[in-house]
Amino acid sequence: MEISSASNLCLHLISCAFRRCRLSQQLCRISAVLKSLSPSILQISISDTGIGSCLEEFQDLNCSSIIAAEFWDGILSVKTTAICDDEIYHYHLNLMKNISSSRTLTRLPSNPKNGLKFSGTEVYLSISESIDVLVSEINHFFQKIMILNIPNIAIELVTEREDIPGSRCENVFLANKSNPGPLSTSNVECLKSGLEDYVLRHGNSLTQKCNTCFATSERLKVGSGIACSTENHKSSGLMMEVVVIISELESKCPCFRECSSKTEVLYFKDFTPCSNSHSTLNVLSTIDWQSYGLTLENVVDQGVCVLEWGDSPSHSQIDMVLHCYHKQYPMHKTQPEQHLIKKAVTAALNNLKETHPGILRSAHALKICSHAPDLARSIAGLILSSNDPDFQGECFSLLGLESRELGANAVEDCIQEKIVSVIEMNDRKPRQRNVVAPSLFEDDCDQDSSYQDKEYEEGEDEFIYLD
Amino acid sequence: MKFFTDREICYADILPPSEVRARIEVAVLNFLKILTCADPAISDLLLINRKSSNRRVSQGLLTEDDTWIFLSRSFCKRSLMRANAAKAFIRVWKVMEMCFKILLQEKRVTQRELFYKLLCVSPDCFSSQLQVNRTIQDVVSLLRCSRFSLGIMASSRGIVAGRLLVQEPDKEMVDCSECGSSGYAISGDLNLLDRLVMKTDARYIIIVEKHAIFQRLAEDRVFNHIPIILITARGYPDIATRFLLHRMSRTFPELPIMALVDWNPAGLAILCTFKFGSIGMGLEAYRYACNVKWLGLRGDDLQLIPEESFVSLKPRDLQIAKSLMSSETLQEKHREELALMVQSGKRAEIEALYFHGYDYLGKYIAKKIVQANYI
Repeated sequence: MEISSASNLCLHLISCAFRRCRLSQQLCRISAVLKSLSPSILQISISDTGIGSCLEEFQDLNCSSIIAAEFWDGILSVKTTAICDDEIYHYHLNLMKNISSSRTLTRLPSNPKNGLKFSGTEVYLSISESIDVLVSEINHFFQKIMILNIPNIAIELVTEREDIPGSRCENVFLANKSNPGPLSTSNVECLKSGLEDYVLRHGNSLTQKCNTCFATSERLKVGSGIACSTENHKSSGLMMEVVVIISELESKCPCFRECSSKTEVLYFKDFTPCSNSHSTLNVLSTIDWQSYGLTLENVVDQGVCVLEWGDSPSHSQIDMVLHCYHKQYPMHKTQPEQHLIKKAVTAALNNLKETHPGILRSAHALKICSHAPDLARSIAGLILSSNDPDFQGECFSLLGLESRELGANAVEDCIQEKIVSVIEMNDRKPRQRNVVAPSLFEDDCDQDSSYQDKEYEEGEDEFIYLD
Repeated sequence: MKFFTDREICYADILPPSEVRARIEVAVLNFLKILTCADPAISDLLLINRKSSNRRVSQGLLTEDDTWIFLSRSFCKRSLMRANAAKAFIRVWKVMEMCFKILLQEKRVTQRELFYKLLCVSPDCFSSQLQVNRTIQDVVSLLRCSRFSLGIMASSRGIVAGRLLVQEPDKEMVDCSECGSSGYAISGDLNLLDRLVMKTDARYIIIVEKHAIFQRLAEDRVFNHIPIILITARGYPDIATRFLLHRMSRTFPELPIMALVDWNPAGLAILCTFKFGSIGMGLEAYRYACNVKWLGLRGDDLQLIPEESFVSLKPRDLQIAKSLMSSETLQEKHREELALMVQSGKRAEIEALYFHGYDYLGKYIAKKIVQANYI
């Protein structure tokens, strides 16, 4: 993994800690302590109480650029222990050399645990970076990571400037303070509530839910989808989780952005926020958005992947987060498979459609639905104008309507509702399958005779037909 | 004698209003059952295909004169689920609803009246008379009942003049030779036409294509010189005129029926419609086919017409000619005449005969009849 700046190195170490804590499934703490010894030297300690580290996550780093630029001396001091270990192991890693085989791993004396059961890791390093720059990067990082909303991890950021006495400052980040879930909540459920919180606060621009837009929680429609790779594939154990949220915004809200026609796709890889790869952009542009009534005009890479929509209703905002991670530890270095992304995004959109009838209707379904009122009115008209009470009775009972004293509107609405639900149900089915509707009079179908499934075209008369 | 063809025929039954309403009610019940069942769907409408591919010909075994076309068991669908054709689907239901209400009120309407009613109630669905007419045919194909059974009266343009006495039920006898040039108007009410009492001493029935010619012949009282009945649909044959003609042919089977049409493919097409029926109204058309012969204008009359009266055939004429040529029902002699038309690239109207004087037409007809010069 290529590290391009000293700050990125720290963030990588923090995300490794984060990952280890998530895997432990216990209540965990991550502490990042930054001590500036001088304006440009920072001593950093990142410690966590997650599962023990296997060191692979440190050994594969490619930090040649920052070492060459003398932002870092290449040395990591790591103390780690797993719950079943009897000792706390201590290592020095020297990542100065480019070639991994000539990198050195020095084992230092370990500390006994004296029978106590705990696990965790501490990493020490010194870098050349301004404390303010790093603090701002870490804060930004933590805010993003809150979207994952992992309930069992508390993150603490401590900063101290040695040359300024009393400058120690502590900041704690907790997942979803307003609505903590149980520790056993799945990652995707956490991701859902995390993104919800993010959307309610207009993407980290507010500290609280925006009451102008979201006075009632019905303004948010949430869907999620999961795809995982099969066990025997070389990239076994990859999980792709996607959450999509559609929200209605109020134009009088000061945060109302005109970018309701844009969606910034948030991307996490192994519990770390990162930018989208090119292949992700490609996959997103191949999704059949049309079948959800959406027109994708453009996919833009602005560091973050941005989807630009044409034709979207002006107050509707779509937010999306993708999270790809390895289920097991240690993880292998593989790219998320494109089909997993497509599968998970499609699953999330379908989930939205199913749980919130009426949204994301394909253009085809919308067109057909526009005829539903007319059809319902005709059928209702036929039922109500009949003078045969048995016929009417049977119709009412089929529709599940009790009283015959119901007005025309009630009958019409009932029929229309059923027609629309059939149209939506068909809309959710995959396109390839031909929905074969039964015909009105069954005895007509002599299947052996020339049954043509053709549309009747108008304008093809043999003669001018006037009478 | 017709055997196998009978199994293939699709009929449009002539039904009383209560039965038609019953069929519509069955349609509604089936629709609702399919809409509310465990695996709900919006049922498609299965219609008998009214295209030339589904057109069949019944050839009489004994004489080639007893030929008519009918529609067979080939179907096509109207479905709500095809976005571009969904409106056509809705239209069928709208017309069914309207007809249902009309039948309940025991009324009858013309197609024109139906169009205006539909325009008031569902302006978004209907935009032209032609669309309404086609939708009516869809309902006929769906319910397999005649248009008349749906409560739709044919608005007849037909008129009769000449040596015929007709009596409508409970009315006075009418002498069609005393009706002047406007003749006796043929009602659109097929029930009424069915109950007309008719008497004649004519020896021939002449179908006249155009109103102007009919008027001239009626005014000149041509039927006082030759014993004929004149009938016209004033253009393309409507069902009521055909119905009456058919009744006349059944009531007076010894009277040959002849057509006087312009020398152009459209004229021949009109003759063929009287003779065989059309697929546009295919489900009912087969019933009213008559044995019609071609009196004039024909190829051998062209020498009577001055050169200036000939006009070029238009693209539409050639289209009609092509379509007629491809029809297997067209007789050999008619086919030859048509080929001559197309070859010459010209057409002429009956009025061209006035070159010889306004009373020439009557003489022309008389001469041809006497010579039995008809094919």
